[in-house]
Amino acid sequence: MASVTLEHVKKIYDNKVTAVHDFNLEIKDKEFVVFVGPSGCGKSTTLRMLAGLEDISEGTLKIGDRVVNDVEPKDRDIAMVFQNYALYPHITVYENMAFSLRLRKMDNEEIHRRVCQAAEILGITEYLGRKPKALSGGQRQRVAIGRAIVRDPAVFLMDEPLSNLDAKLRNQMRAEIIMLRKRVDTTFIYVTHDQTEAMTLGDRIVVMKDGYIMQVGSPQEVFDTPKNLFVAGFIGSPQMNFLKAKLVKEGSGYSVELLGVKIPLNADQNAALANNKVGTQEITLGVRPEHTSVLFDGKQNAIECSINVNEMMGSELHLHLSTVNNDSIIVRLPTVDLTQEQRKQLSYGNKMYITFPAKVMHLFDPKTEKNLIYG
Amino acid sequence: MSKKNKVPEVDIVVDEQAGVIREVKPEKTRSKKGHERRVNTSIYVILVIMSIIWLAPFVFLVFQSFRSYALESGGMVDYLLPKHWSLDNYRFLFDGSNFFPWCGKALITCGIAAIGQCALLTLAQKKLSNMDSSDKKGRLVWLLCTLAVGLVVFLALAAAVQGMAFAGNVGKICIVVALYLIVGYIMARMFTKQDDRLLRQIPGYVADEDSSPLKKLLSLCLEFLAMDLILLCIVSPMVTSQYLRWYGNTLTIALFVAVLQTIIVLSVSYTLSRLRFKGRKLIMNVVLVLGLFPGFLTMITLYFLLKQLGMTGAGAVPGLILIYVASSGMGYYISKGFFDTIPKSLDESARIDGATRFQVFLKIIMPLAKPIVIYTILMAFMGPWGDYVFASYVAFGNVPNYNVAVGLYQWVNVNDYQGYFTRFCAGGVLVAVPITALFLALQKYYVEGVTGGAVKG
Repeated sequence: MASVTLEHVKKIYDNKVTAVHDFNLEIKDKEFVVFVGPSGCGKSTTLRMLAGLEDISEGTLKIGDRVVNDVEPKDRDIAMVFQNYALYPHITVYENMAFSLRLRKMDNEEIHRRVCQAAEILGITEYLGRKPKALSGGQRQRVAIGRAIVRDPAVFLMDEPLSNLDAKLRNQMRAEIIMLRKRVDTTFIYVTHDQTEAMTLGDRIVVMKDGYIMQVGSPQEVFDTPKNLFVAGFIGSPQMNFLKAKLVKEGSGYSVELLGVKIPLNADQNAALANNKVGTQEITLGVRPEHTSVLFDGKQNAIECSINVNEMMGSELHLHLSTVNNDSIIVRLPTVDLTQEQRKQLSYGNKMYITFPAKVMHLFDPKTEKNLIYG
Repeated sequence: MSKKNKVPEVDIVVDEQAGVIREVKPEKTRSKKGHERRVNTSIYVILVIMSIIWLAPFVFLVFQSFRSYALESGGMVDYLLPKHWSLDNYRFLFDGSNFFPWCGKALITCGIAAIGQCALLTLAQKKLSNMDSSDKKGRLVWLLCTLAVGLVVFLALAAAVQGMAFAGNVGKICIVVALYLIVGYIMARMFTKQDDRLLRQIPGYVADEDSSPLKKLLSLCLEFLAMDLILLCIVSPMVTSQYLRWYGNTLTIALFVAVLQTIIVLSVSYTLSRLRFKGRKLIMNVVLVLGLFPGFLTMITLYFLLKQLGMTGAGAVPGLILIYVASSGMGYYISKGFFDTIPKSLDESARIDGATRFQVFLKIIMPLAKPIVIYTILMAFMGPWGDYVFASYVAFGNVPNYNVAVGLYQWVNVNDYQGYFTRFCAGGVLVAVPITALFLALQKYYVEGVTGGAVKG
């Protein structure tokens, strides 16, 4: 149980490639932090620096109050779960879990007690006598987690632990990690490239790209107020729609002009924009698919599109539309309220009208890619 | 044969122009199975011819070794089978030694001692498992007392059966006591630690075949037997003949080299496979280039170096061990290739679990690399076992310090070719025995080890 502090941490590889730039983060005790980003963004490197498997090129890393830059992994009091499980193939599950305790010269009875307890939490008691080869992927991942929790570590590191599992098992394990977290109350740092995992697991999410932190915040914050174009596009599924538009300043109020439609902004947005001293300019407008509504009757103040693809997901429809300018838009449409007639209209090539309220609009500067309101 | 196969091999063709039915012999098609059989046969023929070429000299050697040097001509003859089969040559090899009586007595001595030591340890284990596990000091005292009693039994037996004298042997006995306590303590710790009382409570726990109590006891017994035999060699050595002396020299060199070289090769390979340090690539390249030169180019330099250290002639055995072990790190390629196939995340995981690099190497990598370890041991043993070049010049002229190859060659070259040839053959056959036994026993691992470097083992 400890906090983790990263101050100006940098990773430069031997071939002068900088993998992580100036990483600053304070992780509180017992917090669940998720590093998320596309592959190659430096999230795994950061985690490996935390674990002590990679040297830190610059900056300081503290676990609790102790600077651990040059401390061996075994002395950092951390545990890590690897993507490929990394179970020791030549010994049984029991011995796998007992390995770290035996290295600490713990008593046989104490080892037995801890291993059995961990096995019970994870539901792998009946596999304790087996070798890892005789286990399925989900069971192996449980053993890997079990191996980490018997140690009762100060910080719990997980490097894409669910990536090797199939979709169904992944959902199940994700739920189990949430439950596990309630039972093993310690600091968790979790790396993933999957934004669903990040949203569901984390107290705080750290979105990364190319070695830089893009945004740090709670899942709700990151979803509602993305600081830049990258975060907006990365978080949320399907991805946020981006459209070219124009921000117009008229007196004290602002409005967005999009394909001949003018949408005035609300008071909060006006105030924020005015505060940020934004003038009339070209913008990239971001709207999430679930915030867009389709108009079946009437077309006042609505944007005209034509339907490209109609994806039936069961509870909802994903409509891929294109505007007059050939910008593509995805709309999520719940199927519950649709009448038979309306469904017929949603076929390829038909004209559609969509609209969205001002409060769901995200305004980005096309050059700096920053959010004009929250950036 | 079924009826179908007896149908004559003809096709019937209707010639419409002539309006007749003709019988046409079918073209002989080469069936796939027949082709395979032909290929296999030719491969076997080639293999048989080659093995005749390989085996002929060995068969000749074996037959000649049974031709008496006393009754027939000792030199080369133009017939293969001896006219009088006899063991004269073998008898000559052991002439003047007390090899057989010594072995008999030693087996009795060490056998009884080993059984006694095992029984003592089993009792100690019973006692220890009932003791409080936190009482470390008490456990240690118990273990050491048991070992001490075992040692006394061994020494008493050696004195009684072997006729070992205590007086004048004090130095040797001290060495034996120290060795016994160190090795015995390690073996005893391993034996008493494997207490699976707790593990048996786990549902689905299956005891390893190796850890069944009887097998464990048997292997412990064999371990003690081997240790006692080695210790007996120190306190009460046998009287050797010339040949046995050479054989002993070779065995000593080969065993030492096998152990030391394996340790060095595996450490170097692990280092080059896992650690990243400046000059790693350079070292690997330099070693590769150096490896292209034959080893005996360094002969003269090495001879002078060893002479400075007093390790030629009378000191040939340690000198040769030094030579063979010194350059052994260069043979890291195959084992490095094998280590590279073991996922690195295992190392990382173990290091986070609290293991030092050495513990990772010992507890994770070694068990996984068993085939390559055995391959390395075999190779390290075989090098010095059959070596002639280095052994001949390091021990130059000092007959008791020859190894088998040099000694045997000396018989036919220097002494008397006509008289010694059959005895040379007998010596050669005995040389082949341990290496053949080793290979047959470890064949499975050997094959795994050779191919293991290329594809994941």
